[in-house]
Amino acid sequence: MATEAAAAIPGEIRAGKREMTQARAVRRFKWSVLSVFIALMVGVLGPVLFLQLYFSFHDFSIYLGSWWDAEFAGLEIFEEVVTDPRLGIAIVRSVLFAAGSTLGCFVIGFGLALLMYRPFRGQALFYIVFILPMLTVPIVIAYTGEMLLYQKGPLNDVLSWISGQDVNVIWLANARMALTTVMLLEIWNWVPFSFIIMIAGLASLPKEPQEAAQILGASKWRIFLEIQLPLLRPVIILAIILRFLEAMAEFPKAWSLFQGGPGSATETIPIYLYITTWQYFEVSKGAAMSYVVMMIMIAIVLAAIYFLRREKRALDEMYGAADEDRAG
Amino acid sequence: MSKFSRRDVVKGGLTVASLSALPVGIPGLAWGATENEKIIAAAKGAGGGDLKGMIWSNYYVAMTPSMERFKQATGIGVGSIQDISIFVIPQRAMAEALSRSPEFDFFHVDSNMIPSLASAGLLEPLDGYMKKADFSIDAVGTYGNFMRYKGNTYGVPTDGNVHVQFTRKDLMENPDEQKRFEDKHGKKLAYPVTWEDDQQLMEFFHRPDQELWGSANLRNRANGVTWWYMYFYSAGGFPFDDDMNPTLDTPAGRYAVETYLNIKKVSHPEAPGWGTPQMIPRITTGKAFACQYWDGIIALNENPKKSKTAGKWHYSLAPGSKFSGKLIHRAISSPLGAILVNKYSKNKEKAAYMAMWWGSLKNSEEIVADRVNTFHDPWHTGHMTSDAVKTAYTPGGIAAIETSLKVASPPIYLTGYLEFQDQLAKNLSEAYVGQKKADRVLKDTEEAWAKIVKRIGKRRLKKELGSYKAVFPKVDVPT
Repeated sequence: MATEAAAAIPGEIRAGKREMTQARAVRRFKWSVLSVFIALMVGVLGPVLFLQLYFSFHDFSIYLGSWWDAEFAGLEIFEEVVTDPRLGIAIVRSVLFAAGSTLGCFVIGFGLALLMYRPFRGQALFYIVFILPMLTVPIVIAYTGEMLLYQKGPLNDVLSWISGQDVNVIWLANARMALTTVMLLEIWNWVPFSFIIMIAGLASLPKEPQEAAQILGASKWRIFLEIQLPLLRPVIILAIILRFLEAMAEFPKAWSLFQGGPGSATETIPIYLYITTWQYFEVSKGAAMSYVVMMIMIAIVLAAIYFLRREKRALDEMYGAADEDRAG
Repeated sequence: MSKFSRRDVVKGGLTVASLSALPVGIPGLAWGATENEKIIAAAKGAGGGDLKGMIWSNYYVAMTPSMERFKQATGIGVGSIQDISIFVIPQRAMAEALSRSPEFDFFHVDSNMIPSLASAGLLEPLDGYMKKADFSIDAVGTYGNFMRYKGNTYGVPTDGNVHVQFTRKDLMENPDEQKRFEDKHGKKLAYPVTWEDDQQLMEFFHRPDQELWGSANLRNRANGVTWWYMYFYSAGGFPFDDDMNPTLDTPAGRYAVETYLNIKKVSHPEAPGWGTPQMIPRITTGKAFACQYWDGIIALNENPKKSKTAGKWHYSLAPGSKFSGKLIHRAISSPLGAILVNKYSKNKEKAAYMAMWWGSLKNSEEIVADRVNTFHDPWHTGHMTSDAVKTAYTPGGIAAIETSLKVASPPIYLTGYLEFQDQLAKNLSEAYVGQKKADRVLKDTEEAWAKIVKRIGKRRLKKELGSYKAVFPKVDVPT
């Protein structure tokens, strides 16, 4: 009976049901994972964000009593924050730092990935060597960097030896150089991040278009420029955006080496935020600043999501067209 | 007939009166009990238990033996510490104030944070406990006032950090150098009395080609400002008027900025990025001619195992200034490590006795004279005559420390100390590295300070001015 009944169900309906069950299972899995994050957000981050929001709207001074007695200030503190020229300069500095270090990480990381993505003898050893900086604690990188970067330190010695001239760059005390110094350390620290993403991207590229181009006599450079690079665009955007966001939040190296100095040369957003909240004890201003910065970061993330979606759509269209061609 | 004369009655009355003035909280204590015995007797009444402190192990190590003895005597000891640098303890202590946490019983922190931490409600006044133990802070000159704020005592010092003048004796006493100097300047080579003398000497001995730099004064953003206060105070400046308006952009302020920036001529080009970890080795390896530096470095300098310049330094009072019309010396004291007690702690009384124990002459002498753990420096009157301390710091070093302590001055001893200081430090540092014109330093700082005053409250700060002024020395030229 059951077999007969099953046979009576048309194949399309059966396939549809299977798809529905699959979709439900996927949805259930998604929620089981997401619910943990949502619970963490609500239970842990939620109260913190709420408290921060409270401080942002209340003029709290640690010297004038309890925070729950603080006076409501409306948007006054936000107004103070957005008109603070020091924050404006810190944002510009952070963007310059993040852009420079992201570019450096990406170019070097991508270069290494291109050299490494085809298997060769001893590849594993190189992998370990290239990934090591990312596994090093940033504060250790800062102190190691400091020892290397003194005017009479090993780096200037090496540069002098290579160039044949006496190189005396003041890496750690020149206001014009300091941000670049942190940038170089950041690049050294995070090249492996770009390297890993790009090597994964390169390894996942479809072989057929590259082989076809090779058969048609295209040079390696042309294959890279016209096939690999366009196919890698979503991965490139992802690598750049993730690194950029991370670089915007860089604190340990800049703080341990410079504490915002020399002068105010390394006073980036995180440094200024720390100084405001934990040196000036302007808790309300610090909270409002955090929100303003968070909004900027959210805007960057939304822009990133937009670009990623656009790239994915373009790729989907391309693959779709290719499939149609093949089918035709 | 009475057997007593009227004189006997008067004498007896006086004796009773003086006995009644003795501390009543130390039961069963024999006459002539020592300072330590009195503290132990008072502490026994508080019961035993382990304390939790926020203290940097570099300081704590030298305090451990005396803590162990106190534990044996009273049952009060230190069970655990949060080991973080004294430079970040102000922030962590303030976080404790914000949360009104009883987690820590004491904090070992820069005493210049007392106004801010007391205003934030974190600190327990110690006067009551000190009375119970018949304890007083016996510091050189008015140095004990660094522990007082608005009429209360909030801390017991463990580390009398004060700036002392370091000058290379071997170079100053070299006959060839003396002749060259006399030929060039038409006067005898002599140790500096004023900042101008100091500058002239540093310029004379500034020989980078021989790996000798005129100055080893710090000029980084975090520490450089410390020197500025000395120039400013010795020129007769005070940073606020009675209505709490900043008074930096004054002749004394401008003189201080000029003196601060002049050092650039005789400083290492990397000085704007250097703190003590970089500068101290330059002092001990003989790459500097002179500086004003924290007195603890004397013990390091004179330790032949750790220094190449042992015996080559002359220590004296930091230079002063005649800018105001008379010679004034002011030696900065910051950070001054002191034990402060958490008001929210259940063990605050025990922590107070622990602090007093560490601050007694006998124990503090042991702590300060430690040749290995040299983070605590002399401050007690008794340290100045102690053989053990003299061995560590040399008799010349101790003499310099004592005179410097007599004119020891604070940075900004007000609520908001770190805020005031960093604004000034940032502007000075910007001028030093060429990001800002010198004439903007004081104007910009005044603008920023006016905002801080407004935020913290003018009325509150005006009430604190008295405590700030009381910390200053009463003498201009100590003997």
